[in-house]
Amino acid sequence: MILELLQYKFILNSLLAGVLASISCGIIGTYIVTRRMVFLSGGITHSSFGGIGIGYYLGLNPIITAAIFGVLSAFGIEFISKRSAIREDSVIGILWSFGMAIGIMFIFLTPGYAPNLMSYLFGSILTVSTLDILLMSGLSIVLILVFSIFYRIIVFVSYDQEFARTHKIAVSLVNYVLIGLVALTIVLNIKVVGIILVISLLTIPQSTANLFTKNFKNIIIGSIVIGLIGAFLGLVISYKINIPSGASIIFSLVMIFLIAKSFQVIKRYFNLKNQKM
Amino acid sequence: MGKILELESVFAGYNDEVILKDISFEIFDDDFIGIIGPNGGGKTTLLNVILGLIKPYKGSVVFFDDIRSDRNNKVGYLPQQNKIDKKFPIKVKEVVLSGLIYGSAFLGRYSKTEKQKAEDTLKRLGICDIKDTTIGELSGGQMQKVLLARAIVSSPRLLILDEPNTFVDNQFEGELYEILKELNKEMAIVIVSHDVGTISSYIKTIACVNRNLHYHKSNKITEEQLTIYNCPIKLITHGDVPHTVLKQHQH
Repeated sequence: MILELLQYKFILNSLLAGVLASISCGIIGTYIVTRRMVFLSGGITHSSFGGIGIGYYLGLNPIITAAIFGVLSAFGIEFISKRSAIREDSVIGILWSFGMAIGIMFIFLTPGYAPNLMSYLFGSILTVSTLDILLMSGLSIVLILVFSIFYRIIVFVSYDQEFARTHKIAVSLVNYVLIGLVALTIVLNIKVVGIILVISLLTIPQSTANLFTKNFKNIIIGSIVIGLIGAFLGLVISYKINIPSGASIIFSLVMIFLIAKSFQVIKRYFNLKNQKM
Repeated sequence: MGKILELESVFAGYNDEVILKDISFEIFDDDFIGIIGPNGGGKTTLLNVILGLIKPYKGSVVFFDDIRSDRNNKVGYLPQQNKIDKKFPIKVKEVVLSGLIYGSAFLGRYSKTEKQKAEDTLKRLGICDIKDTTIGELSGGQMQKVLLARAIVSSPRLLILDEPNTFVDNQFEGELYEILKELNKEMAIVIVSHDVGTISSYIKTIACVNRNLHYHKSNKITEEQLTIYNCPIKLITHGDVPHTVLKQHQH
């Protein structure tokens, strides 16, 4: 079956997209999870829908406009929550729904039918274009470079921002660069699993990896591997029973998490039993 | 004895609310200052001003160079433990090493000298055996020592501790103060505490912050002084830790 599938370019593209999604989400997801930015990332994800709507309205590639919109709202959240008296989670909630509202408005203002709208909401890894692959490759390269060159400082600032500030480190710069990368990772992975599901690619592999390792670098590597297995399994399931790939990928990831968790619980149980004897 | 830092008529606070009013304060080498005062009185604000985390609305904060050493502008900081995310995936030795990163020197890896420094600091505080432990598995006292190691690994000229006696037991508290007494031979120490009783025997001078600042050039405070300075703090000593006998007072 696999050889037969590999003959199609779109299958190759989607496999490649799965690999690239695992890399970018593995890296950025570890940052998001360890810094407890999951809700913030959900906000960026949904507000980027505004960019997709504007893209449709202006007749541009929705991923490009979503990327711009996503990065700007990410900067907005970072800026407003640090400076004003409004609570950070409230700012996120406002931008979350505002972006969705903008998206819906512009899609309804666009004359005619909005093609592929569903693929942005639920993802469609099988329709990933060559441009998408190029953008995702670029992003993965940038992330690998940034996280290997600045690893020390990223971990330092993530662990204790205030202390980093007392050491005269440009904490705001680090925060802005990383939140920008978070937004780009989210938007470029929307094609793979969709707006509604993208947050899971950034959290499930990390939580699974975190069961086995408590080291930042190892969580990144573990998440990438787990993401790859989940993406591959999901694609096979999606092909076999003809369901949207986004859902089957997330389903596979959660199954892997549950298996890993039960494995850990059983192991702990036996360790305890052995100790008693 | 060199002057490290001078605050001159500083006004500071948050969101346009002035908390500290007209504070003037100097810190010298060898100082061991206890900052006490009621909650909301501005202890943390004062720390943040000294640490450069907030800019004063008015007044100046000046650091003085020490021609004898290269430790200038180096401040070691031990934050309150509840500000630290204990689930963060980081090992003890990584936390301590991070205390050596300064300014723009954040590229690349830690050098051999830096690793040795971290190792020495861990040994000095007697926590070398937990250097590969993830911080989530540490007890309150161990965590405090790790944070102290991070604060002193760069050999700062000034060490600032924010409520180091919370989340730890009495025995550890005594041990901590003994360590600080030793460290005080190398660096000036400023310690913030809501609990003046136990620290008063170790500190050399007391500063009371309650919007304004009253600096006692001694470690003994009387009830009269507290009343005059409007400094409602509790004078209680715990356990069998050595302490200065404070004046009799009613509870």
